[in-house]
Amino acid sequence: MDIFHDNAMLAGVRQMLGAFAKQYIRPVAMKHDREESMPWALMKQAQAFGMTQTAVVDGRKALTGKDDEEGANKPKSQSRLGVVGSEELAYGCAGVCLAIGGSGLAASPVARMGTEEQKQEFRRLLKGDDEHGHIKVAAMALSEPSTGSDISGLSTTARPDDDHFVINGHKQWITNGQSAAAYVVWAQTDPSAGRAGVRGFLVARGTPGLIPGRKEHKLGIRASETAQVHFEDCRVHKDMMLGIGASSEGLGDTKKMLDSTRPMVGAQAVGIARAAFDYLVERVQGGTIHGTALKQHQHVAFELAEMEMEIQAARALVHKSAWMADHGQDNVRMASIAKAYGAKVAQDVTARALTLLGEEALEPDHPVEKWYRDAKIYDIFEGTGQIQRRIIARSILGVNAT
Amino acid sequence: MDFALDDDQALIVQTVRRFVDKDLRAWAGDADRAAEAPGKLATVAGDLGFYLDAVPEAAGGLLDGAYGHVTRALRGLELGRGCSAMAALLECNVEPALAVARWGSDAAKAELFASLAAGGLATTGRDSRGALTLSADGDGVRVTGKVGPLPALGRASHVLLCATLDGAPVALLVATAGQRVAAQAPSAWRAAAWGTLTLEHALVPASHVVARGADAVALIGAWYRASLAARAAGVAVAAMEHARHYASERVQFGQPIGRFESLIGLRDDALTAATAARLMALHAAWLCDRATDGASIAAAADAASRARVVAGDAVRQATVDAVQIYGGYGFVNDYPVEKLMRDARPYEQLFGDERFDRVLADPDRAGGI
Repeated sequence: MDIFHDNAMLAGVRQMLGAFAKQYIRPVAMKHDREESMPWALMKQAQAFGMTQTAVVDGRKALTGKDDEEGANKPKSQSRLGVVGSEELAYGCAGVCLAIGGSGLAASPVARMGTEEQKQEFRRLLKGDDEHGHIKVAAMALSEPSTGSDISGLSTTARPDDDHFVINGHKQWITNGQSAAAYVVWAQTDPSAGRAGVRGFLVARGTPGLIPGRKEHKLGIRASETAQVHFEDCRVHKDMMLGIGASSEGLGDTKKMLDSTRPMVGAQAVGIARAAFDYLVERVQGGTIHGTALKQHQHVAFELAEMEMEIQAARALVHKSAWMADHGQDNVRMASIAKAYGAKVAQDVTARALTLLGEEALEPDHPVEKWYRDAKIYDIFEGTGQIQRRIIARSILGVNAT
Repeated sequence: MDFALDDDQALIVQTVRRFVDKDLRAWAGDADRAAEAPGKLATVAGDLGFYLDAVPEAAGGLLDGAYGHVTRALRGLELGRGCSAMAALLECNVEPALAVARWGSDAAKAELFASLAAGGLATTGRDSRGALTLSADGDGVRVTGKVGPLPALGRASHVLLCATLDGAPVALLVATAGQRVAAQAPSAWRAAAWGTLTLEHALVPASHVVARGADAVALIGAWYRASLAARAAGVAVAAMEHARHYASERVQFGQPIGRFESLIGLRDDALTAATAARLMALHAAWLCDRATDGASIAAAADAASRARVVAGDAVRQATVDAVQIYGGYGFVNDYPVEKLMRDARPYEQLFGDERFDRVLADPDRAGGI
């Protein structure tokens, strides 16, 4: 089960993205945090490393040059690849990691539920550069102002009208919401059908009625754009509804999709924790207090030991949940455990690191302070810590506790 | 043993609370974004008696008789509910003024009080890591190294600097004029006029060596920590005031989220911790009011240090949990709690690590556990 040492491909990806994080992400991370700007130049460079915006739709062959997904009985490596890569990129900067990978949120439902025609359309929309010379990105528009944790209450509607659907509603906290060239928007097609009536639609930027909204000013992950998106009588051809021809579980599809991304989200949290830990180790190695070496004090050394225990445990959970997914096992409980625990560890390690660093970490643009701010979102997005505990508890007890 | 407020204290709490609810909270968001307190803060807070409350009446201040640390802590609890950055500006003159009044030379008193009476600020710092180099120069002291970042240092005329000279604690009044001051706007207490002061062999004259010896430095630390702890407890209370309001209105899964047991638990634990911090801060302040000799100063210093540990933990967890209760809205700056989470940090990071300090105070660990 040691995913690094029994799989040369994963080890190679880890090494390559780790180097990318250190050499390219770290030097620009603070600037994008301070300016709340997308790292467009870096995102273009990432493409050269194989991190394309359509990677999820294209499959992993584009990144690794070979495709071991063939063969029904052979374990896949998609999920493990995701967690290994995510940890490394978030080690560089979680905001930049999300900027590079944010399109994957929209690509994932297209890959899972899209027809060949829809996949082609997705690739076409993301091809080339935009008018600013930026690469093109995609956005998944699911959350709404009143629909955060409880996604069954979606109020955005898609009303059938001849061979089109007419979409109306407001979306909130949408990654790439302002800049996207392609949107996957979730809307209720049949209010009487409840959850089964929810469908995803692929909508191109520039479609009349699709109105990118205001960008949010955030506590952390500020290199990743988060914005509102509005739909006002936005007409979308029915061929662009995801899940055509296949049996769709409606909202259940999106829930499965969220389940599948949880190990990666947990891995990013581990990446943040490890960044803070490594920073602290370096400071402690050379640091003194009133003429004594910091590393000779249990007060400091045992804190590092505690952090290392937490980080190793969190990573093991993340890897186990990814391994289960790659081996076709139901990992819903384990993915929630990995995501929730990773978030807890990232918050805990960054907070303890700040306390140990003390006054020096009150300097503006201190990386550990940034990582502390970045870590918090991991307990909120992609299912809050409370939602994960609800899932875990339900899998133990069989009921939803309130 | 009496936990009740006297009439003066009750009036001060009421007045400061009104100021906090009406003005500080209204100004906090803009001040944070602009990284600067509004100009009217000085006028409004000055009218309420801030800035000069610890400066003797005879020197142009408002202090007539003994300073009341309990009253200051009560005020700090309210200020913390409003805005940590502006609270820091309103509280920063107290330690320098009290220390100079108590131990300072006539020259130091004249210089500091004239500056404060003219609207100047002073601040307090501590060389908690032993990173500064101090050497005796006659009866004066030469200092090399970087002081801060400290709140108010970007604008302060003086820093009351607690450091170590030849192994003995010393408190120096360092004038910033002519020295290298760099103003800063970190992400916490952004409007608090932060700054660093870089000293290169700077001479602090004998007249500005405010105090020598462990007692004076311990007492300054006790004042500072008790005040920090009180404000931190106030921030924790504010975080949960906001969270409770939001949770009563936000509906998910068919009910206001404030009715979910797990969120009730977050708020409940935060209030337990804030209550403990509040009582410990008030107790430490009460001991500060009674600190006259070595033993009573040591008691105040110990209580203030422990109050700061509890308050630091309380404010960190309460603000993180307030953001959690707000969910996605907690992460954006349209709502007040992400600022509170950023603002929680200096309460733990300023003035050294209490737990570590207690270990270091007994280098041979002769006291054992």
